[in-house]
Amino acid sequence: MTSIGTGYDLSNSVFSPDGRNFQVEYATKAVENGGTAIGIRCKDGVVLALEKLITSKLLKPGANKRISTVDRNIGVVSSGLLPDGRHFVSRARDEAASWRSTYKAPIPTTALANRMGSYVQAYTLYSSVRPFGVTAIIGGWDSEAELPVDGEVGSGPSVGAGGKKEDGKRGGPFLYMIEPSGSYWGYYGAATGKGRQAAKSELEKLNLSAGELSLYDGVKEAARIIHVAHDDNKDKEFELEMTWVSSLDGPTKGRHEEVPKELLEEAERLAKKALEGDDEDEEEEKMEE
Amino acid sequence: MAAVFSGAPPQGGPGYSFKQTPTAASASGERQHSFYPYTDNGGSTLGISGADFTILAGDTRSTSGYNINTRYAPKLFKIGGEGPDNKGARIVLSVVGFAADGDALKERLDTIVKMYKYQHGKNMSVAACAQRLSHILYGKRFFPYYVHAILGGLDEEGKGALYSYDPVGSYEREQCRAAGAAASLIMPFLDNQVNYKNQYVPGSGVGHELQAREAVPLPRTTVEQLVRDAFTSAVERHIEVGDGLQMMIITREGIEERYMPLKQD
Amino acid sequence: MNHFPQAWGRPRDDIYGAYDHSHFQTHGPGGPNQHTQRPIVTGTSVVAAKFKDGVVIAADNLASYGSLARFTDVKRLRKFNDQVVVGFGGDVSDMQYLNRILNSLDIRENYSNPENPLNAKNLHTYLSKVMYKRRSDFDPLWNHLLIAGLDGESKPFLASADLLGTTFSSPTLATGFGAHLAQPILRKTIPDEASVANVSEEEAVKLVKECMKVLFYRDARSMDRYSIAVIKSEGVDLKEDEKLENQSWAFAEQIRGYGTQVN
Repeated sequence: MTSIGTGYDLSNSVFSPDGRNFQVEYATKAVENGGTAIGIRCKDGVVLALEKLITSKLLKPGANKRISTVDRNIGVVSSGLLPDGRHFVSRARDEAASWRSTYKAPIPTTALANRMGSYVQAYTLYSSVRPFGVTAIIGGWDSEAELPVDGEVGSGPSVGAGGKKEDGKRGGPFLYMIEPSGSYWGYYGAATGKGRQAAKSELEKLNLSAGELSLYDGVKEAARIIHVAHDDNKDKEFELEMTWVSSLDGPTKGRHEEVPKELLEEAERLAKKALEGDDEDEEEEKMEE
Repeated sequence: MAAVFSGAPPQGGPGYSFKQTPTAASASGERQHSFYPYTDNGGSTLGISGADFTILAGDTRSTSGYNINTRYAPKLFKIGGEGPDNKGARIVLSVVGFAADGDALKERLDTIVKMYKYQHGKNMSVAACAQRLSHILYGKRFFPYYVHAILGGLDEEGKGALYSYDPVGSYEREQCRAAGAAASLIMPFLDNQVNYKNQYVPGSGVGHELQAREAVPLPRTTVEQLVRDAFTSAVERHIEVGDGLQMMIITREGIEERYMPLKQD
Repeated sequence: MNHFPQAWGRPRDDIYGAYDHSHFQTHGPGGPNQHTQRPIVTGTSVVAAKFKDGVVIAADNLASYGSLARFTDVKRLRKFNDQVVVGFGGDVSDMQYLNRILNSLDIRENYSNPENPLNAKNLHTYLSKVMYKRRSDFDPLWNHLLIAGLDGESKPFLASADLLGTTFSSPTLATGFGAHLAQPILRKTIPDEASVANVSEEEAVKLVKECMKVLFYRDARSMDRYSIAVIKSEGVDLKEDEKLENQSWAFAEQIRGYGTQVN
């Protein structure tokens, strides 16, 4: 990736002769230094977790939340430049509101990912702007029940023309990750930030594609993975921030919320225990040698 | 004379256009029910200023036509001071007429007086507040706040100060003023009992020799009793007045608030 | 120049011809904006009463088009959150608009303040300012709203806001016909704020249901299907498909001169 001196990295929207956009690649570098963020798509909901690095002892613990809600049922966590992340969320909220005013219904997670993908991509096209310095993970639960149109009154005919009929499955958990280039994919488990490699290999072990992992187990795995991905030796201290969104009959009733304090503490306790367990194993192995 | 203002053409002269402006009714023949943005919520207020105090009072009934909306809707508001409870305020505004405009007016004046303190580091004087209120009302001259306002406090010398307003901001400092539904019932009573109108010194002569009884600042207890009497009487004669009497007495010590039930019929 | 000031500056008919009124169209495209001049599809009364530890509120499920009973399953009580319910009387399209406003307000509030949701007092302040703004723009929302729930100190709160922006609060409230027919009944049991403490939830519910019954019989724009909500610190209990019990107009058949039987 030696672009130094070539000049192809100086302006956004300019390709190098071998087809690369260096500004976008540099933006990705900014992300690679951010605290680890992950998302897990479980069978009955989605968990988002963040390794929030403590930059100062003067910051109030538990304050300055970094995972945001969009509409009621979608969560966004990002890694990279904080202000870029906030602008991303602000735009996502506007998109959700605009969807509502057009369709009188909440924006589906996939539609939000699509719109935000387009938005982020637009920032790679012009020399007057720079790309987003964040990779964002969008997790949401689209309602499985038939939602009334916003402000709708009455329930319409129950039978006959215009009547209701049961159709196929609708709604469910969704998880997307958007990169600075604007490219986005749907994931079973997504990770970004400094510890993404470790996190990804842990996520792969969970066999998420089987769709068996429950939301509660997902919360515990998420806590553990953030702890695994954290490098004690090199990194500053961190705080674990976690949110979740469940099905309508689940613990959050289809809303994106913070994981309750008790559950978060329990998950973190188990995570630490699991890590200590690993260390002990290693030590035992050494002893045997 | 009437012909001059009727818009009729001068006799024998040419006609002029715009004699009558076209209306929607004439265009299509249909009549539309149009929206009237005001209503009258009834009730009455009054204020009397003394040597070192001012009393403002108002009944607490709110009406729509023959309906009683509620038996407790205050028409007296503290202006200025600290926070939503107006702690330490020394000015009181009473409004009667269209209650929604009254509330809006109260809120505007209250923020202005509070902002004044933030910006100048001192409390707004009653005289300044009174003039500001006039400007607020006048500023909406072409879509007025449909209220009769009375503003009370103590002036820079510590004397009772009372200002009364018409809906478009014309104002005057007075000894006493009644406003609202029963104003015409209460005001003559006040003229007679506060300013001693139509009272004369006995035996001072006949005809032009007759000496008017001189008005003097009244003591607080007397004034409070006058207020109570004025309202109990107004309740008897006016259907929009009743339920409760709210009084605020502004003295050097602050604002004393009183409540007294009135007849609910 | 003549001595008729009202004619000064105006075109003379003998020179320009009489003014052609067709140039000033007061309707149709190109004319001035038309704001709501009257409600079209309407809901009738909303009735509410405070009790010891909450508020009961009810409204029937009918939306009328003039004298036509047009929609019979229209829910006119809206739960805002766990401590506020809004009851709507008046124009149904304006109710739907307000519903959407409230929805977006709730979403935005949750972004900035997820721990402290708006209480009934907050919401009443907000709605009354919306109503007053629209009346001041001569574009009113043709509704009479009751806001029922709990205030910032978790005490029962009940207040009203109408199309003019007029607001008031009372231990019992009723809009529309209810102001004439239900309010006197409610006031018999709950005459003042002090008496609220002596009224139980069961009594309040019974009282409000009694009012719905009276309104069903005497308000021609009402029906016997209704919604009723109880708001307490435990949350909102909203039932949207209640039916007035054992009510029937069948007796009318027996009355001489009432129906088809003339003599």
